[in-house]
Amino acid sequence: MLDTPATDAKWSTATDIAAAFASGQLSAVSVVEATLARIRERDPLLNSFTAVVEQRALARAKALDEARARGQQAGPLAGVPFAVKNLFDIAGLPTIAGSKINREAPSARRDAMLVERLEAAGAILIGALNMGEYAYDFTGENIHDGASRNPHDLDRMSGGSSGGSASAVAGGLVPLALGSDTNGSIRVPSSLCGIFGLKPTYGRLSRARTFPFVASLDHVGPLARTAHDLALAYDAMQGFDPDDPVCADRATESVAQLLERGTDGLRIAVASGYFKCRTAESCYALDRVASALGANRDIEIPQADRARAAAFVITATEGASLHLDRLRVRAQDYDPDVRDRLIAGAMAPAALVVKAQKFRRWYREQVLKLFTEVDAILAPATPCTAPLIGQKTFMLGDAELPVRANLGIYTQPISFIGLPVVAVPVPLAPLPIAVQVIAAPWREDVALRIAHTLEAKGVVAAMRPPL
Amino acid sequence: MKRKVTRNRPARTASKPARRVPAKASAAAKSRRKHRAPAMVEQPDVIDSLVSASAQALRLPIERSWRGGIKFNLQLILRIATLVDEFPLPDDTEPGPVFHA
Repeated sequence: MLDTPATDAKWSTATDIAAAFASGQLSAVSVVEATLARIRERDPLLNSFTAVVEQRALARAKALDEARARGQQAGPLAGVPFAVKNLFDIAGLPTIAGSKINREAPSARRDAMLVERLEAAGAILIGALNMGEYAYDFTGENIHDGASRNPHDLDRMSGGSSGGSASAVAGGLVPLALGSDTNGSIRVPSSLCGIFGLKPTYGRLSRARTFPFVASLDHVGPLARTAHDLALAYDAMQGFDPDDPVCADRATESVAQLLERGTDGLRIAVASGYFKCRTAESCYALDRVASALGANRDIEIPQADRARAAAFVITATEGASLHLDRLRVRAQDYDPDVRDRLIAGAMAPAALVVKAQKFRRWYREQVLKLFTEVDAILAPATPCTAPLIGQKTFMLGDAELPVRANLGIYTQPISFIGLPVVAVPVPLAPLPIAVQVIAAPWREDVALRIAHTLEAKGVVAAMRPPL
Repeated sequence: MKRKVTRNRPARTASKPARRVPAKASAAAKSRRKHRAPAMVEQPDVIDSLVSASAQALRLPIERSWRGGIKFNLQLILRIATLVDEFPLPDDTEPGPVFHA
């Protein structure tokens, strides 16, 4: 049971804060001041922020307090502090996307669309968060800004590439953050840091005014410490945006009020074959979640290994295309690991890329058929709990594999075809690990209902770290 | 907890993907596999040549100290791409570069 915001501002949820603000128990200025104090105290350990917009946040909070005093109705996220991965535009700051090169870019003139939408709902932007360079990362390490650290063990990875987002939320600096997910960059750090993360359906949330990585795989979404907080943020951010060419023209489908419907009637299966868990902790987490949901049926997602391979090829080549001009003149300013992968991607034969795109259509058709039989599929989020910062390889079964390329083995085949997923954290000691709740396209409500039900049963929860 | 394995068409397709391919295309695919040249990814000198030629064609200046990392990653991409390359698909399969539900 969480303490109330009045007694424990360090671990309040967005829902708690919004309710306390709406009822007059808290002022927005006091929330922001407490948040800034926590960042000053804890972020030297976590290294999750790369910029704090203190004056902007205080001004915004003051305006919210004044509006409330005038009797204006508070938005659903009024008074809630949040921060964003530093690939989201923040007016007045360069959008560095974890890089050295982009620090020289002109400052953004306008906030990213999702920042605007969260603020329209009353939330207060606090700052920008650390990330892997240009989002080509699963570790949370960054050669320019240093690694964002796991609040449960500061020597361990936060996960990437939205590492700062997960670190800040799990560390109690902010209750809500935004990240991006191309191959798992919301779900992997959510798993390693033990929080909830939502990767919506491809095209659901606007990516306008964010720095891209792989256009055909890029998603954006929220990270939080409860499923309800995810739903509140998700509801506030939905809606068509012509500034994102792939944003779907769909009506807002609010989810927060649906969470209490539970899981009755939902057909839930466990992914088998490729998705078989490979470590004791991932198996335990998956079994615990499956048992709580009565998911006693396995289902095979066909050719998932090839889906992961195709995502790998498309990522390398599309990412390389995005960076080709910079690589010609500024290659020495990249993280060497990122540079070498991008240059290699530029050299991969185009025929293989087109084959990967053709396979994508075939695979999508096969997976969509599965959703005529089930409503949700469970799968591990990461193969293991957080590795040590700097660790290069890990053991999966009998195989020693590179950490950087393999933390996303379970997430890549899912984002490859844009399915909505909620990562739900199982609070294991000493380190948490998450399970993916995967739903059919546009059925974020199903995944969030399942996440909320598991939370109510006490099966999943964001563990409070010993900070 | 014992789980039942779902018996459904996609699962069977998974184990025998060639079933979805028209007989003619399947035969062609088998022929391609039979006559495939030795894997390029197993020949380091080929990778080295590919890196040099691609760097020149793409006007990408590469320092000597980067070559090892680039070759490793290119070899990795090509090896992983084999999983896609060897999967037979009908000739009329459209690419799916952007997901639409």
